[in-house]
Amino acid sequence: MSGHDSKYFSTTKKGEIPELKEELNSQYKDKRKDAVKKVIAAMTVGKDVSSLFTDVVNCMQTENLELKKLVYLYLINYAKSQPDLAILAVNTFVKDSQDPNPLIRALAVRTMGCIRVDKITEYLCDPLQRCLKDDDPYVRKTAAICVAKLYDINAELVEDRGFLESLKDLISDNNPMVVANAVAALAEIQENSNSPVFEITSHTLSKLLTALNECTEWGQVFILDALSRYKAADAREAENIVERVTPRLQHANCAVVLSAVKMILQQMELISSTDVVRNLCKKMAPPLVTLLSAEPEIQYVALRNINLIVQRRPTILAHEIKVFFCKYNDPIYVKMEKLEIMIKLASDRNIDQVLLEFKEYATEVDVDFVRKAVRAIGRCAIKLERAAERCISVLLELIKIKVNYVVQEAIIVIKDIFRRYPNTYESIIATLCESLDTLDEPEAKASMIWIIGEYAERIDNADELLESFLESFPEEPAQVQLQLLTATVKLFLKKPTEGPQQMIQVVLNNATVETDNPDLRDRAYIYWRLLSTDPEAAKDVVLAEKPVISDDSNQLDSTLLDELLANIATLSSVYHKPPETFVTRVKTTAQRTEDDDYPEGSETGYSESSSHAADGVASPPTSSSSVPYSGARQPAPAPAPAPAPPAPVPDLLGDLIGLDNNAIVPIDQPVAPSGPPLPVLLPASSGQGLQICAQLTRQDGQIFYSLLFENGSQIPLDGFMIQFNKNTFGLAAAGPLQVPLLQPGASARTLLPMVMFQNMSQGPPSSLLQVAVKNNQQPVSYFNDKIPLQAFFTEDGRMERGSFLETWRSLPDSNEISKDFPDIVVNSMEATLDRLAASNIFFIAKRKHANQDVFYFSAKIPRGVPFLIELTTVIGTPGVKCAIKTPGPEMAPLFFEAIETLLKG
Amino acid sequence: MISQFFVLSQRGDNIVFRDYRGEVQKGSAEIFFRKVKFWKEDGQEEAPPVFNLDGVNYFHVKVVGLFFVATTRVNVSPSLVLELLQRIARVIKDYLGILNEDSLRKNFVLVYELLDEVIDFGYVQTTSTEMLKSYVFNEPIVIDAARLQSLGPASIFMQGGKRMPGTAVTKSVVATEPGGRTREEIFVDIIEKISITFSSSGYILTSEIDGTIQMKSYLTGNPEIRVALNDDLGIGKDGRPTYDYRSSSGSGAVILDDCNFHESVHLDSFDTDKTLSLVPPDGEFTVMNYRMTQEFTPPFRINTLIEEAGALKAEVIIKVRAEFSSSITANTIMVLMPLPKYTSRASFELEPGAVGQTMDFKEANKRLEWGLKKIVGGSEHTLRAKLTFSQESHGNITKESGPVSMTFTIPMYNASRLQVKYLQIAKKSGTYNPYRWVRYVTQANSYVARI
Repeated sequence: MSGHDSKYFSTTKKGEIPELKEELNSQYKDKRKDAVKKVIAAMTVGKDVSSLFTDVVNCMQTENLELKKLVYLYLINYAKSQPDLAILAVNTFVKDSQDPNPLIRALAVRTMGCIRVDKITEYLCDPLQRCLKDDDPYVRKTAAICVAKLYDINAELVEDRGFLESLKDLISDNNPMVVANAVAALAEIQENSNSPVFEITSHTLSKLLTALNECTEWGQVFILDALSRYKAADAREAENIVERVTPRLQHANCAVVLSAVKMILQQMELISSTDVVRNLCKKMAPPLVTLLSAEPEIQYVALRNINLIVQRRPTILAHEIKVFFCKYNDPIYVKMEKLEIMIKLASDRNIDQVLLEFKEYATEVDVDFVRKAVRAIGRCAIKLERAAERCISVLLELIKIKVNYVVQEAIIVIKDIFRRYPNTYESIIATLCESLDTLDEPEAKASMIWIIGEYAERIDNADELLESFLESFPEEPAQVQLQLLTATVKLFLKKPTEGPQQMIQVVLNNATVETDNPDLRDRAYIYWRLLSTDPEAAKDVVLAEKPVISDDSNQLDSTLLDELLANIATLSSVYHKPPETFVTRVKTTAQRTEDDDYPEGSETGYSESSSHAADGVASPPTSSSSVPYSGARQPAPAPAPAPAPPAPVPDLLGDLIGLDNNAIVPIDQPVAPSGPPLPVLLPASSGQGLQICAQLTRQDGQIFYSLLFENGSQIPLDGFMIQFNKNTFGLAAAGPLQVPLLQPGASARTLLPMVMFQNMSQGPPSSLLQVAVKNNQQPVSYFNDKIPLQAFFTEDGRMERGSFLETWRSLPDSNEISKDFPDIVVNSMEATLDRLAASNIFFIAKRKHANQDVFYFSAKIPRGVPFLIELTTVIGTPGVKCAIKTPGPEMAPLFFEAIETLLKG
Repeated sequence: MISQFFVLSQRGDNIVFRDYRGEVQKGSAEIFFRKVKFWKEDGQEEAPPVFNLDGVNYFHVKVVGLFFVATTRVNVSPSLVLELLQRIARVIKDYLGILNEDSLRKNFVLVYELLDEVIDFGYVQTTSTEMLKSYVFNEPIVIDAARLQSLGPASIFMQGGKRMPGTAVTKSVVATEPGGRTREEIFVDIIEKISITFSSSGYILTSEIDGTIQMKSYLTGNPEIRVALNDDLGIGKDGRPTYDYRSSSGSGAVILDDCNFHESVHLDSFDTDKTLSLVPPDGEFTVMNYRMTQEFTPPFRINTLIEEAGALKAEVIIKVRAEFSSSITANTIMVLMPLPKYTSRASFELEPGAVGQTMDFKEANKRLEWGLKKIVGGSEHTLRAKLTFSQESHGNITKESGPVSMTFTIPMYNASRLQVKYLQIAKKSGTYNPYRWVRYVTQANSYVARI
């Protein structure tokens, strides 16, 4: 073949498509190949060549691999839009999958897996099954990946046809490429499956560790990442693993090195011998540092990871601070990360060197970098008490250069230094005041004003300084206004002379009358009241000693840090965010067949990810300065939208009673209402350690299910869901069950709003309420509750005497039912009436009958079913007779249960 | 696991686009380009290599001005993806001989074929040119190399003197030479990048050499190769204090802080005789990376003097002295020095008889730029610049200018003294004597003198 491919891009004069069509059907092989190339060229520049589908597919039957590949490329692109024609290719695919040439066999399976057309997928299974057991490793490794493709299209098919087993068999394959792909495919399937597919046992572990030595660099990464989920049984096993992984640190591929580091860090948690740990740290340091000699892109990733590692194990790189000094030609994103790590590694021993560096950086060109360098000096001052003075003198030197943004940044950090070391460095205030008029950034202004207010008594002209700001008060941004307000109050309290008094009038007026900022107004009013009622109290409040701050601005919350460390060498460790906050890949709709398949969290390690999910959501956001550099510039990585409940809603009771209910709801955010003790419905003994207390209650006219979960198991539980079986009132959950992640030993209370008439059961009314609860870690627990009818009595159940009598009369006598409660004593009529009224049983009238008192009440349950009630008793003596008349006499047993409970109090 | 791979030109045109999983929208290339181009409003700042936008994670590296980009929605290993992008560039270059927009477009069918073998369903299969040769059938169309810049550090060999076989590095690994038969040859390049920071008094604050031994083999039949390094080579800083500059240079062993190797390298006899043995795969690859902080003689000393001459004037004198042997010549030297923001004018004065030098004052970023075509070992060059300021300097000139930085290339010189003592190729026959090229080159990475 001669000439350049780019000639295929040139358009011909007249109708391109008909011309191509003609060429595709040429009798000459070379001409056909050229034509297909032209088609592909048109395709890549976005032209629609789908009309040539049949003609291109006709070229598929060829022994020429080059041509075949081109046709396949075309098919992958257009099969989706021409599903009916795609079937034309099936025969050739199936034939190719049995071709004597392994490349053609692999190519057929690889391509079929990429065509997401049902008709093709149907025909994929048999060839795939064969290819998984092919003699040629190239075919097997292609087939292994193809299983993951099929799972993505149709998970059920993969499970039903036993592909998972074949895939697991490939872990023991004698070809390392095949092993690596099998591991990658299994890991992906596991990621998207809710049942344990790929468990790493100690047996798999040792097999994979052996394969590690033979694999290509990329295979090593797949394997190391899969193994990183393995939890060693004890320190000895951990040491063993580490020993076999350590040689990977010498690899030239940075991904291998980082994945090995991750694995070692994880196993180190289990190793108790300090010698071994120290030795490992020593081994990890040089390769970590060497990552910084790679391309800047890799350096960036390495630095973000090192940032996490030194927070957990500062000793690893304690002596290597020099390698984090910024190079002149580092890209800005690398410089920023290096600064962070320099701050973390700064110590009394190296602070002089570090300060020298920061000082240099503070005079560089890039404004953001300069600002960060100045802040870094301040953070070192706060972190290292003994070096604070040296840091401050560097800051003062920088202020003297009078570069506007340097001065402002310095003032901001000096304010923090004052907070950290009160009454120590105030001598420098005079110098700061010199730069007053150059301040134009709100944060710097606010900081300076705070300093003036805080040290008003030491600044002779504090009132003049503040006054100069007051003129522009209405135009200032909110944070400056707030500081001005507070500083003026402080000044007034410290120097209650005429000047400040006038100032305070102006400020309070400005901050109350002439503002629409509620924060400012509220604060001003509080000051105003304080000052007018008790100036001494105002002093105590406003001038109270402030808690000393510490340098926690760069420390991640320890649970978050744990999670991020477990995610070293993943994107999570670059963003410093838990994976679930940015992973948006929609899970494939893997149908769960049996609910009882939910794994126990601690056993498999796979459900870890989901339990971490809830954990991550609950953990507090990272402090602003730990936001990655990328995040600081832009809102990305955007938090993922709250994941929708999994599409195929598992039906907890479905198998049981053939019920189709949609009211199953995932947990959302935790709420923890408190209330009276609830009856235990699911004892810990039958809930695998989980105890559930619950009761239906009525609050503000609505029915709630009040629940208390107590986690007596050894594992954290999350992902709680609840479902109610069909019941007389058709009760079902109205909203999500909100239970936070439950750590072992923790408990949570929640109120679940309920709706009625959702899934009504047939047959006679019953108070039985069957409930099913599950979570991510445990199988479904079932328990029974009793429906208290009193929870249904509505607020509008009061009847006028007239209508009471009328209704009573209108109902046939067969609707009158009565029951005796020989044990119940009514001692105080008032208390009883109150109690009944509280439950929406309304008193209507009372009459005497012999020595007995007869009371009439009315109540109503939803759908307007009234109850007319007659209670007969002798106050103070046991025995109450209750007679009711209602259009729904079948409810009588439930009613009597309710009235009994209420009368007993 | 990645979802898409694409290559964009500097203008943002799609040159190559391959979607492996169909999870990320088709317009991702445009979204990416717009984000990177306007990372900050002023377009000045570089986007980090990894970022997340609307749930899609974008990875990119820049190779010869092209963006190599991958996208994914899942929590993958970022170092794997970034490394992969570099490797894809390298494989394509192995095949095409030259990597640029033109060669990619001319060979798009081959590139797609390569991409299908390199990645399947987002998972890397192999990036070894050697392995790929058995699965890839398209022939590259090699474009005219003469005036084109090639990829990678080895390209520096093209700039220098005649002793480098200039066309070699732009030769495709798979294409046959116009003459019909390939020349048996192998290149071993020792490339070192120096980072050094001098204090204002000329004292070395930090210094580091990042070195790499690159190999590119055009030998048929993949014979085994043995590369012998310095006998006294040591690895690891155990037993000697960190950053010990007291030990005298020029004597003693070469001690590397750390090194790593390509997977084809056997280290069986490395400890005893410092010899690497390997069967080089086709294509360009890194045999060994190393890092050294041991003291070494810096190739250049920089001396800067600033003298105020009145409130609105100052004179800057920069002296550069080459500290290497006179048989060696450094080329394409550039000395940069940021000047105070309020500098309005600069006039220059060179030493008498200076040739091949350029001086410039860049108004936009207030920077002095002094270029020298070549510097012969042992020589010294001086530049005087008279500055005029638009406002008084308040005696802060030194704080507001500098540091002076330098870039250069020195062929056939390496500061670490690491050497390839011999390069042995397993003989196929008595007459088999392929060309062997062992080449050294040193470049400035961050070469900075504070003032």
